[in-house]
Amino acid sequence: MRGSMLAQQIVNGLMLGAIYMLMAVAFTLAIGVLNFLNFSLPGLFMLGGMVAYGFIKFGWPTLFAFAAALAVAALVSLLVERFAYRPMQGGDPEVPLVSSLGFLVLLENLMLIYFGSDQQAFPALVPDLNLRLGGLVIGIAQLGSLALSVLLVLWLSWFLSSTSTGRCIRTVAENRDTAVLMGIDTGRLVPMLFIASALLAAVAGLLFAVNYQQVSPFMGEGVGFKGVAAMIVGGMGSIWGAVLGGLLIGLAEVLSISFIGADVVNITVYGLLLVILILRPQGLLGRPATREKL
Amino acid sequence: MALLDVSGISVSYGRVNALKDVSLQVKEGEIVTVLGANGAGKSTLLKAILGAVPLKSGGITFADRDVTRAQPHKRIAEGLVLVPEGRRILISLTVEENLKLGAHMRRDGTAIAGEMDAIYARFPNLAERRNMLASCLSGGEQQMLAIGRAMMAKPRLMMLDEPSLGLSPLFVQKLFELIVELNRDGLAVLLVEQNTGKALSVAHRATVLELGRVTMAGDPKTLADDPRLQAAYLGAGEATPA
Ligand SMILES: Nc1ncnc2c1ncn2[C@@H]1O[C@H](COP(=O)(O)OP(=O)(O)O)[C@@H](O)[C@H]1O
Ligand SMILES: [Mg+2]
Repeated sequence: MRGSMLAQQIVNGLMLGAIYMLMAVAFTLAIGVLNFLNFSLPGLFMLGGMVAYGFIKFGWPTLFAFAAALAVAALVSLLVERFAYRPMQGGDPEVPLVSSLGFLVLLENLMLIYFGSDQQAFPALVPDLNLRLGGLVIGIAQLGSLALSVLLVLWLSWFLSSTSTGRCIRTVAENRDTAVLMGIDTGRLVPMLFIASALLAAVAGLLFAVNYQQVSPFMGEGVGFKGVAAMIVGGMGSIWGAVLGGLLIGLAEVLSISFIGADVVNITVYGLLLVILILRPQGLLGRPATREKL
Repeated sequence: MALLDVSGISVSYGRVNALKDVSLQVKEGEIVTVLGANGAGKSTLLKAILGAVPLKSGGITFADRDVTRAQPHKRIAEGLVLVPEGRRILISLTVEENLKLGAHMRRDGTAIAGEMDAIYARFPNLAERRNMLASCLSGGEQQMLAIGRAMMAKPRLMMLDEPSLGLSPLFVQKLFELIVELNRDGLAVLLVEQNTGKALSVAHRATVLELGRVTMAGDPKTLADDPRLQAAYLGAGEATPA
C-alpha cells in the first residue's frame, strides 16, 4: 500500500517536474545564449494557459485554441525582444531584466482586466482514461504530457548538438562578437531564440492547464520562480542541468506535500535547493566559470 | 577591376577616428599586406571590410558588387572571409564543429564534406583531434584550425589579422608557407602583420597604416628598404617627409 502510494507520488512529482523542466529549459536558452534573465517567460507560460482557455470558452476547437495560444506567446516574445532586449544591448545586463519584468506585470494585468483575478476552471479535454499498472494509476493526459515534455527537450538537445543552426547558437552563446565575425546573422537568430523559449514556456503553461484544470492571470509566478530555481540548481546554461533541476523540484514538492504536509512545502523544497547549492555552488551539472568573457 | 576595392573609408569609435580616408585594392590572385604599429587601425580596417563595424564614409566593392551596406553574413557568403585577430576559436565546440561552423552559410553539403577531408589531409594534427574540444589544441594548431575554418567558407579573398602572433618560429614558417600555397591555388589574400619582414617577403603589394591613415603603399621590395617603415613602427608617424 505504502509502496504503491510512493510510486504514485513519484509519477505525480515527475509530471509537475516536467513543467518546471520546460520552464527551466526556456530560462536556460535565454540566459545561456543571450545572457538574459528573461522575466517575461512566466507571463508567456500564463499566456499559454489563459489564451487557450479564452479561445476554448469562445467556442474554438481545442487544437486551434492551443495553436493560437502558442502563436500569441511567440508574438509577444518577439515584442519583448524588440522593446525590452534589443534597445538595451551594450548597456547593463540588468536593464532588459527589469524591462522584461515589466512585460510580465503588463501581461498579468491585461489578463486580469479581461478575465478577472479568480482561478478559472480549464475544461477537462482528455477523457478520464487511466492506465493501471499494478497499484499505479496514471492518467492519459499525464502520460501524454510527460512524453511530450521529454520529447521536446530531447529534440532541442539534438538540434543544438547536431545541426548547423545549433552550432551557430552555441557560437553565439560562447561569444557574440566572434559569431558576427563568423557571419552568423544574429539579427535573425536572436528573435528565433526568443520564439523558441516562448514556445517552451507556453507549452508548459498549456500542459499545466490541461493537467491541473485551472488557469489564472498569476499562474506563471510560482512556476516561473521554480523554473529559475531549477535552472540555477541544475547549473546555469546546461540544458540537462535544467532537466535535472526541474524534475528534482517537482519530485521534492509533491513528495513533501504528501509525506510531510502542505504547509511546509516551500521550506523543504527551497531548503533542499539551498543544501545542494552549498555543496555544489556551480549547480548539479554546471562547470565552474567556463564562459569566455573578454 | 580589382576583386576588392576599398575607397576612402573612415571609421570612428565615438570620438576616436580609427580610420581616415583609407583606400586599398586587392586584385585576383594577389597577396596584399597591411603593416602598421599597434593601434594603427589594421584590425578596424579588416572588420570594416567584413562589415562588422559601420563606416562613417567611403565605399567597398567586392567581386564587382557594392557591398558597402551589406551585413557581414552576406559578404562572407560572397567569399569575403576573415581569420580574426587572436584566432577566436570556439573552445566549447569540437575541432570538427569549428570547421563545420565555417561552412554554416553554405547549402552544398557534399562539397563541404569533401573540402573538410582536404583540410584534414592538409592538417593531420586537426584530423587526429577532430572530436576533441578545440581548447585542447596548441596555439599553432588553433591558428591552423582558424584558417581551416575560413577555408570551409569557400573564400575568394581571405583576410588574416596577425596570424603569426604568439606562434613559435617553426609554426610561423609553416604559416607563411601555407599562405603562399593557398595563394598559388588561386586565393587572394589580405594579410595584416606585425612580422613585417615575413609579410613583405610573401606580398605582391604592401600598404602602411599610421594612426588610421595610409602613409605608404607600393612594392614590398622598395618598402622593405624604406627607412620610413621603421619610423612607422617606432610611432614617429607624423614626422614623415613628404
Ligand atoms: N571597440 C573599440 N572601441 C573603441 N576604440 C577602439 C575599439 N577598437 C579599436 N579601437 C581604437 O581604434 C584604434 C585602432 O585600433 P585597431 O584597429 O585595433 O588597431 P590595430 O589592429 O592596428 O592594432 C585604436 O586607437 C584603438 O584603441
Ligand atoms: Mg589589431
